[in-house]
Amino acid sequence: MDPITILLVVVGCVIVGGVFASLGVHLLPVGGAPAAMGTATGIATGTIMLMLGAAVTGLFTASTVATFSTNILLVSFSGAVGSWIMMGVTMLMANVIYVFGSGLVPVSGRVEVDPITKEPQTPYKTPQCDGHGIPTVSYISGMAGAFIGGFGGAIMYFALLNYAFPAERLVELFAWELGKAATVSATMAAIAAIGIFVANAILAAYNIGGTIEGFHDPKFKRLPKALFSCFFVSLFCGVFVCVVALLGGLI
Amino acid sequence: MPIEAVAMLFAWMLVIVFLALIACMFEDLESDTGSQSNPNSQVQLAAQVGQVHRFFNKAISGEAPAYAMYCTTAGVIAYVLLLKGIHPLLAIPIGAAVGEAFHVIFATTAHIGRTAGSKRFEQPLYLDVLYGHLLPIATHGFMAVLCIVSIAYIQSNLGTLSGMSGLNHPFALPMLAFIWGITVGAIGSSTGDIHYGTEREFQDRPFGEGRRVVYHGKITRYAECGIRTQKDIVGFCVKYGGPCTGLTFGLIILFENWRTLVGMKLGGFLPDLQAINGDMAAILGIVIGIVIGIVLIMGNVTLVKWARKRYGPFVGE
Repeated sequence: MDPITILLVVVGCVIVGGVFASLGVHLLPVGGAPAAMGTATGIATGTIMLMLGAAVTGLFTASTVATFSTNILLVSFSGAVGSWIMMGVTMLMANVIYVFGSGLVPVSGRVEVDPITKEPQTPYKTPQCDGHGIPTVSYISGMAGAFIGGFGGAIMYFALLNYAFPAERLVELFAWELGKAATVSATMAAIAAIGIFVANAILAAYNIGGTIEGFHDPKFKRLPKALFSCFFVSLFCGVFVCVVALLGGLI
Repeated sequence: MPIEAVAMLFAWMLVIVFLALIACMFEDLESDTGSQSNPNSQVQLAAQVGQVHRFFNKAISGEAPAYAMYCTTAGVIAYVLLLKGIHPLLAIPIGAAVGEAFHVIFATTAHIGRTAGSKRFEQPLYLDVLYGHLLPIATHGFMAVLCIVSIAYIQSNLGTLSGMSGLNHPFALPMLAFIWGITVGAIGSSTGDIHYGTEREFQDRPFGEGRRVVYHGKITRYAECGIRTQKDIVGFCVKYGGPCTGLTFGLIILFENWRTLVGMKLGGFLPDLQAINGDMAAILGIVIGIVIGIVLIMGNVTLVKWARKRYGPFVGE
């Protein structure tokens, strides 16, 4: 590929990664502090921490796969599946504690009937609570969100690793041996990808403003604003990455 | 070559899984010992609604960034010592000890600062609570950080340890410590906190219902004997919340590494590490991962249905 195409690919992948990160965050069932007391539906932690935890788990697998596959889609889907497993196990075990540790039935506080299983929610809900646990619709929404977010993080990592800070370029610039250059290249690409991912996740978290149950939550309708903002933030980040790469890398 | 090398690879993976289980369990118990993360909002609120208490109030930050910092600090120190030729059995504990030194400093300032901020609500600063909790916080945290840095060390040298040097992870040790620090914190916060926040913090309220908004701040201040501190809480959470949280991280690491390695083996990439088989290995890893995810979804649907049938609709006022 010629240099202009490479730069366009980097910017494009960063934009896709950022927008996917934002979409993934909106799909997660985040309950925050109220969920830790069983007062709200969702996972009992902050939006960004949860998405970041899932995304870096996916990034770990994606980086392993990137050592033996050069196919961008395979690496990205490996990252997506890593995030989806992380979120799946976390939500399942959270429900195990809600059900067996606290005797709660997972119910949604935002809808009267679960849109997927069609099970009634309101009769099972404690009064003065905004739901509790992770009902089926939130679980599936969270799995979808983790998959999309993990895909976004991994595609950014792959583009930065192979096009923005490739190991061969570091060997050429600093006369390093290839093994050392590959380690530095992979680590720097991961840090840059996580940084851009976090910026987009924080924007999405501002849009959510605390808690969200998933795609069935009324707050999900705010999504277009976040996608619009994240597009421009990612565009800026992508251009910045290109400038850094053209100046000789992040070292 | 080495079928032994492949067996060693799987064996090291299981060591990592075991360390992950221990790490996340101790991470959650440490957050219960120091009352970090989401349930601490109630400890903070208690004084404001007139409930003077003897809880430790350590809200440094969310658990994920906090543990990312401790683990990365420990990882960097261990990495530098390893580069200087120090043996890993010495370098990793020294790194973890330095990480915990930062932790204790933050725990002290956070507790004193937060309690001082509650002065207008007449919340005293109990020095015995402060001194008595710092060592349990440091020891629980040390176990978590030690296991995470050990995982990072094994993964960054996985190929060398198992006899296939091409399989060393591309990330440097501190980066792996950072990644698993964030993940262990996110899991400890999202899973383990529930047992502390929903159950132990409001134990004098009816079992089997969500904690209503009117209960907020009115935490259980009396223990089985005497006045409750965090030491009573960690002894309770270690029976269920802690092990469940450890199991969560252990299962994630198991599924993630297992599916990748099985994909590599079935795809023909192991043991000869031929690049031509790489794509097939990746595809198989993805397919196995998707199957695991579908099984998890089915497990959750079954659990929710069981709970609805067993517990029934809400009764009471």
